[in-house]
Amino acid sequence: MATEPHGTVETTGAPAAHDSGGLPQLQFEHWGGQIVWLLLIFAVLFAVLSKVLLPRVSGAIETRGAKIAGDIADARRLKDEAEVQARAAAAEVAEARAKAQKTAADAKAVASAAATERQATEEAALAEKLAAAEARIQVARDEAMGHVRAVASETAGAIVQKLTGKAATAAELKASLV
Amino acid sequence: MATPIDPMHQFLIKKIVELPTVTVPGLGALDLSITNSIAAMLLAATLIIVFYGFASAKAAVIPGRLQTVGELLYGLVDGLTSSIIGHDGKKYLPFVFTLFAFVLFCNLQGMLFGWTGNFLGFTATSQLAVTLTLGMLVILTVIAVGFAKNGLKFFKLFAPSGVPWPLYFLLVPIEIISFLIRPVTLALRLFGNMLGGHVVLKIFATFVSILLAMAPAYWLVGVLSLTSVVALTALEFMVAFLQAFVFAVLTCVYLNDVVHLDSH
Repeated sequence: MATEPHGTVETTGAPAAHDSGGLPQLQFEHWGGQIVWLLLIFAVLFAVLSKVLLPRVSGAIETRGAKIAGDIADARRLKDEAEVQARAAAAEVAEARAKAQKTAADAKAVASAAATERQATEEAALAEKLAAAEARIQVARDEAMGHVRAVASETAGAIVQKLTGKAATAAELKASLV
Repeated sequence: MATPIDPMHQFLIKKIVELPTVTVPGLGALDLSITNSIAAMLLAATLIIVFYGFASAKAAVIPGRLQTVGELLYGLVDGLTSSIIGHDGKKYLPFVFTLFAFVLFCNLQGMLFGWTGNFLGFTATSQLAVTLTLGMLVILTVIAVGFAKNGLKFFKLFAPSGVPWPLYFLLVPIEIISFLIRPVTLALRLFGNMLGGHVVLKIFATFVSILLAMAPAYWLVGVLSLTSVVALTALEFMVAFLQAFVFAVLTCVYLNDVVHLDSH
């Protein structure tokens, strides 16, 4: 593979002449050039990397870190806010429920008071009617009991007349009924 | 096709563009021609810049695929610097990242484009000159950071506190040697891994073609060889990533030593 007759012959000539070869790396005539070029290349590479490229890379990483940290902080803040709001809402609900319960209890008390009152009046009216009715019954019974003697007297007179053929006097009847 | 098995052929330096030789006073001639190794390094650096150019172009909050991969690698190195060096780690992130990305792309390039057979698939990190330069770069940075942060107290690095003073005669030389050997171990570890893996791959791969060209009795061995090549290729991809990672980790550890010298 003789690419360039000048270069190849010149450089490969050395190990061929020595027969055993030896490391090509120890051909010191090539050291100077390699060292100088390496230092040059390294310096340029170092300058480009440290001044231009690495700051860009670290910048991107830092931007990402800041963005993530910021997003997390935002999320945390929003979560806290939501929690506060949730707590406020829960308190409001509890308050509303207490109010509603109180209203319901009040309404119930008012209603039950009215009902008791009405019931009492109704009961009073009923009791009055009952008393009146009882009084009427008493009167009627007394009256009826009063008629019983007269009826008995009349009946006795009728029986006597039928049996004896002559009417008994009222005084006789009255005396016999005692 | 000169020799059937030459696993070292892949490491040969070849000139692609001839450039004039510069003479540096005191050091001698310096051939600045662009070789396949240098072209591969240029390609790696270009690929990194292009990749991160696209990956960070939008810088979107919700990343696309390319951006995700780019941020994944960045996050990996960021995790290293911040976990090993600590709070001050961010300052050293660009340096560690450049090292990591460069080593990683050089390593992977050799694995991904090796089939092209030209500089595109040349593994620059299999060159001792390259890894040693990177190792020296690390240790010189560590020393520079050490002096900049601690001044002359930097030398306390070699004299750990809480030790009876006679022990310093033994400890200080050991500490100095272990410090000075760091760039060498950094360089040899990367170089050795890349070299060894590539050589083994090459040898097993050539086995396949040689054995299949022989009598059918040998084909079974050839198939075995092929299986190992497939398995080793997977392993090499892992090694390519792992060595870049190890390089970055050790750089962080060494930097941490001098950044937090007081708690040493």
